[in-house]
Amino acid sequence: MEKELLQEDSQIIVIIFIAIFVLLFMAIALVVFFFFSRKKILATELEKANLALSHQKGILQATIETQEQERERIAQDLHDAISAKLNVVSLSTNVLIDGNLTIEEQQEALKHILNVTTNTLESSRRLAHNLLPPILDKFGLAAALEELCDEFENSKKVSVENNIVYNDSLTKNKELHIFRIIQEFMNNAIRHGQATVLNLSIEDIKNTIKIKFIDNGVGFDAQTLEDKAGLGLKNIQSRIDILEGELAYKSGKGIGTTFEIKINNS
Amino acid sequence: MGCYLKSFARKSKAFKIFTIYLVSMSIIQVSSTFLGKILHQENLFLSHYFFIAQFLFLSLFYKELLKSKYIIGVLIFGLIYIIYQYFDDPNLYFKYNAIGITITQSIIVIYTIIYFYKSLAINNKFIVINIGVFLYLTSSTLIFASGNLIFNLKISEAMNYLLININRILYFVFQILIFIEWRKNYYKKTLKSL
Repeated sequence: MEKELLQEDSQIIVIIFIAIFVLLFMAIALVVFFFFSRKKILATELEKANLALSHQKGILQATIETQEQERERIAQDLHDAISAKLNVVSLSTNVLIDGNLTIEEQQEALKHILNVTTNTLESSRRLAHNLLPPILDKFGLAAALEELCDEFENSKKVSVENNIVYNDSLTKNKELHIFRIIQEFMNNAIRHGQATVLNLSIEDIKNTIKIKFIDNGVGFDAQTLEDKAGLGLKNIQSRIDILEGELAYKSGKGIGTTFEIKINNS
Repeated sequence: MGCYLKSFARKSKAFKIFTIYLVSMSIIQVSSTFLGKILHQENLFLSHYFFIAQFLFLSLFYKELLKSKYIIGVLIFGLIYIIYQYFDDPNLYFKYNAIGITITQSIIVIYTIIYFYKSLAINNKFIVINIGVFLYLTSSTLIFASGNLIFNLKISEAMNYLLININRILYFVFQILIFIEWRKNYYKKTLKSL
């Protein structure tokens, strides 16, 4: 009787032991699980950080490249439009100083100089205007965009429709970014898309500015563009990032291109 | 424990609370040994102070780590419940409070799991201590909870000692983890500051 009772009690103890070890085992398993999950999560985070870093590097590179291209273009413009013409002026003046000319010839030379100088002045004004349109600073984004549309319509043989509603709700800095983006859209549409009709509309409703730009050009393949986004589009994207906006576009052969940008201005 | 005491003054609040916890635990253990082994008197009542102090200080410790005010609420509720238990049954003082131990240790185990979850993405301090608390409390809950049962059972001394020794081993592992944590986080800094 006594022995039997002892045996029964021992069994309970054995069960308690087993339970303790099972608990301990589960606890250790949980700790191991914790460490493995943590390792995995940290690895994913690292990968994400690296991706973001390489993206940033890409944007930086694109910015530097664009800057270089822009410098090259300005240098070219300065050389073609101003240096060359000033050279002519300098030459003509030298001839005048040498002084072996008749009065009529002198008059002719002076007229020529005046002519060239006027041209040069106009060119330099246009150059400066292209670099930073003064109207943007003086009269705001809406006026500047309307002028841009008019310029394109007058000079580039395209018809530009515009419908701009804008309440001056952004800072000057952001306005310049929007202006540049639309300038780039128009240049791309004409240079790469051979578009003949452009349509620009801007809405400014309740803290959100909606910009829609449509052209009837040849369009591009949106899929392939994702991979090797051209400099222009990368530039646009980084400007939109600065504006904290969203860009959506739709394009295809034969249907033209539509860009839509949403910017929060609060 | 000495290591923790040494760097007590210039550490965070969580660190200080944990040090107080270690000190109170060791005081209870020393007095328990003193009563039992040297004076040969009943020392079971110390287990109540042991688990209440453990609940109190570890709750405050995790309140610092998890930055949650609910822990204070849970702590107050737990303490009220335990006090009620002793009012309800004064004889409990001379037994193991199995329910009290189980409830308080389970609550701490839940905190450790929440802390594990919070440490998944970031490298938090005290993670080794957290592992130690988690392992020790999970497994020792059952040992303490079965305390009363074992006293009533007629089992051999050997079996009884085995159970106590398992608890001792677990507690030793816990201590080692605490030491590793100290070494990992503070040993280098101590060297630098010298």
